[in-house]
Amino acid sequence: MNANESPLRAEPVLRTRGLAMDYGQGAGRVHALDGIELEVTPGEALAVMGPSGCGKSTLLHVLGGLERPSAGEVWVAGRRIDGLSEKALARLRRRAVGFVFQAFHLMDELTAVENVELPALLAGRSSGAARRRAAELLERVGLAERASHLPSALSGGQRQRVAIARALSNEPLVVLADEPTGNLDSVATLDVLRLLDSLRSAGQTLLIVTHDERVAATADRLITMRDGALVDETRLTRGTSGSLGDLVGLER
Amino acid sequence: MVPDGVGVAVKEPSQGYQLRVVQEVLLALLAAEASHGYQLRARLELALGPLAEALNEGQVYVTLTRLEKAGLVTSRRVGQADRPNRKVYELTALGRARVQAWLDDTSWPKPAPAEFHLKLVAAAAADLGDPVRLVDMQRHALLGELAAAQRAALAEPDHSIAGVLLEGVVLRLQADLRWLEACARYWNTTKGRR
Amino acid sequence: MGRVVLVARLAARDLRRRPGEAALLLLAIAAATSTLTLGLVLRGVVSKPYQSTREATAGPDVVVGGIADRAGVKALTGAPGVVAHSGPYPVVAAALAANGHTVVAQTEGRDSAPAAVDQPKPIKGAWVQSGGVVLEAAFAEALGVSPGDRVTMKALDAPRAPGAKPSARTRGPGRSFRVAGVAVTAAAPPYPEPACLANLCQGDADTGLAWLTRADAMSLAADKQDVGYVQNLKLADPSAAPSFAARYNPPPDASPRAGASGPPPTILQPWQDIREASANLVKNQRRALMTGAWLLALLAVASVAVLVGGRMADQIRRVGLIKAVGGTPALVAAVLLAEYVVVALLAAATGLAIGWLTAPLITEASAGLLGSAGARTVTFSTVGIVTGVALAVAVAATSVPAIRAARTSTVLALADAARQPRRTGWLIAISARLPVPLLLASRVAARRPRRIGLAVASIAITVSGIVAALSAHADIADGSNSVRADRLNQVLLALTITLVALAAVNAIFVTWATALDARHASALSRALGATPQQVSAGLSAAQVLPALAGAALGIPGGLALIAAVDPDSTTMPPLWQLLAVVPATVLVVAALTAIPARVSARRPVAEALRSELA
Repeated sequence: MNANESPLRAEPVLRTRGLAMDYGQGAGRVHALDGIELEVTPGEALAVMGPSGCGKSTLLHVLGGLERPSAGEVWVAGRRIDGLSEKALARLRRRAVGFVFQAFHLMDELTAVENVELPALLAGRSSGAARRRAAELLERVGLAERASHLPSALSGGQRQRVAIARALSNEPLVVLADEPTGNLDSVATLDVLRLLDSLRSAGQTLLIVTHDERVAATADRLITMRDGALVDETRLTRGTSGSLGDLVGLER
Repeated sequence: MVPDGVGVAVKEPSQGYQLRVVQEVLLALLAAEASHGYQLRARLELALGPLAEALNEGQVYVTLTRLEKAGLVTSRRVGQADRPNRKVYELTALGRARVQAWLDDTSWPKPAPAEFHLKLVAAAAADLGDPVRLVDMQRHALLGELAAAQRAALAEPDHSIAGVLLEGVVLRLQADLRWLEACARYWNTTKGRR
Repeated sequence: MGRVVLVARLAARDLRRRPGEAALLLLAIAAATSTLTLGLVLRGVVSKPYQSTREATAGPDVVVGGIADRAGVKALTGAPGVVAHSGPYPVVAAALAANGHTVVAQTEGRDSAPAAVDQPKPIKGAWVQSGGVVLEAAFAEALGVSPGDRVTMKALDAPRAPGAKPSARTRGPGRSFRVAGVAVTAAAPPYPEPACLANLCQGDADTGLAWLTRADAMSLAADKQDVGYVQNLKLADPSAAPSFAARYNPPPDASPRAGASGPPPTILQPWQDIREASANLVKNQRRALMTGAWLLALLAVASVAVLVGGRMADQIRRVGLIKAVGGTPALVAAVLLAEYVVVALLAAATGLAIGWLTAPLITEASAGLLGSAGARTVTFSTVGIVTGVALAVAVAATSVPAIRAARTSTVLALADAARQPRRTGWLIAISARLPVPLLLASRVAARRPRRIGLAVASIAITVSGIVAALSAHADIADGSNSVRADRLNQVLLALTITLVALAAVNAIFVTWATALDARHASALSRALGATPQQVSAGLSAAQVLPALAGAALGIPGGLALIAAVDPDSTTMPPLWQLLAVVPATVLVVAALTAIPARVSARRPVAEALRSELA
């Protein structure tokens, strides 16, 4: 199931209704998510912004099946996931969802290509097929010549690109990225942005949680969260019609 | 008073900011050697790179005339074989001093949140509108600009000269957006206090 | 002085922070030290009491025994070097029934008048009288009879040749006797050692010693052929008894078993041999205990090493801080060592106490000698050895990590870079072809090869101990002395249980430490699509596979151990037992590790990832 096969009726890749997530008891009860209604169409890049503690990471975890919501419904590709068993959720993560984390979360003792082939191996594919796919993906993110490097020999931006390659391993319906540029300097940020942009152009559905406006600016749609609720939605227009001079503020 | 913020509505006619820059660039180019007008235009376009499109045709000649009037350059006619006499421009000592002063100048365009800030204060004081809503509107607008600038930046190849310029645009817009968030926080809590 | 105080304070604080681990360390080392103490305490437990008994009963220097050979036995009284003698006394084998038990009793016919050599000393009641039987002290205690009780005795066939199986056929009617008294003697080892008077034995069967009057003894014997004769000799030079016996004994290579036609030859037994025999049971118990002690000590080293290794990751950052504020590498190593040395010393003290307290359980076997009950001494050398072993365990386990930690550069330590797990390229490549749980298991194991090695070692040690115990048990069961067998089996069982218990605790701890260490990898695997079942199976397999290897190594290890400890033993445990050890070990380890593995695999992924920011 690839986001590239454009369905006739755009069935949302992700959908939530009344999603809520609570932590703690009594006086210490925290509403991490408070009645979220959300839809993500295939091929769309959605950015989620908000101050820290607003629940955007929690939203991501719930959408990816890493946490179970306290209330509400979540659909992934038309299939309801909020009540699934851990085993089924694992299968979901294998097939439909790819994760990118702020801290990269690469295995320190595996080379780049070994890290990227991991989801395919966990999904039961043969070691040869997994390795080939991993090599392809590393090529795609521009790190083919670093395939046998350990993460400690890679820069922050390179590590995150390896992590993105890993997320693409099982051709997921959607890539969920949690502050992908949070640990990166501005140069590395640009590299990752470029990659995310190229993914978007290729039709990959993306959901990016970020507090960096530059990252959000590469999306098609931006939603803002505050205190667990969606408070704003902006459609970011595509394309730039003006010249460089217009952008920079030099006029004719 | 030359306004030099980006996207400011009320300003002096186009000659303001942009013309001054073109003046300095021309003077700098002349510091190397004396040139004809058309040579200068060609070199200017080369130097400005993608920004050259912001220039129009006659810009260079108009500017050179101004510079001559201000005593920063001199011109003399040079006879040519089969063409009308063309002017050759040369930097004067004053001009040279001006170029040096420009290069040594570390003054920076001031960040200017004052106008928008006053807009919000006025709206609140005169009860003309919700400051928070104004902030949101501005934020949307800036996000759009940021998106456009970011896209243009991404489209540039690595190490492009335009790329680093666009990064400057992006980062300043980002800073402005962060300030807008701070405004929103402030006006939200102020609203709550009323 | 300030340095010592600093080290002490840092060490104390660290121990207080982790009381559970300190307790575990204490347990592991204390098990080894208690066993060692017991073994050492048993060293002198028999020789002194035997000496006192010998003096009190005018114990013989040589005991001469012959079957139906009164003349030959008597002839030796004229041999050079003999200064006194008593006997010959008739000896009859009888089946003695008392309190529902029936045991073989080697019965000696004696005079009521005291003999010059070997006059058994009654510690309860009186000496032989007509119609009255006197029992050897330990024998009486085992049967539960006291003076005044009645027992029945029936004669048995005497074995025709030494080493022949005792006959179970009784002859003639049984006679009832009154227990006149309970006595100790130095002429034969106390029960449950078979009461052999020289070669007058009932094989290895459960035999006690009893005395009747001459007339009663002769009347018991149904056949003159069944009567043996024993003579007690005193020599001018008691220390020359073995050479005296060697002079008159048949040459050792004259194999009497080869189809012996005539009566077995007269045998002389020097008193040193009797003293040896008296110590037999204790000697065997002691041998088992010492072997067990070394096994437990090795296991303790493995346990401590696992614990130390597990904590090293946390210690590295602390080490860096100490160094950064001016501590020297020596100080760092000192702090790390100090903690474990303190625990080791405590364990030594605990072990000494436990060993001292439990020694009576074993030494009461020598109740048949004077002054033996409660004769246990913890000498300075015992204290020294036990403390030395405890310290050696601590130092052995901690020295390598301590030195490595002390040598780590401060910068690296502060950056926690030492936490980088090792990379084993070939294993990673192979594991890619395995099913998911095994893939996870091998990668988890490859991160900490030292810990896996220690896990294999502890299982191998434990299984070696079990196999050795099974061999020893088979050897014991082969003999027919059931009481001696029971006593020895008890010790073996206690040792085996301790070994297994420690190994079990070790296995659980290793699993827990591995799960902790693999938290990030497990959470990440689950985020990438592995099910909790796969992860938990992987964590379990990472323990079970080394256990399999350890068990496989332990079988030849145990056989080698028993061959080294008891070269005379030729009995192998039944093959089914040997074969069953491996799957049993695997099942037990799987069961023990299943729960920690499962618990670890079900932790919420998001939480685990959040707390493990690389």
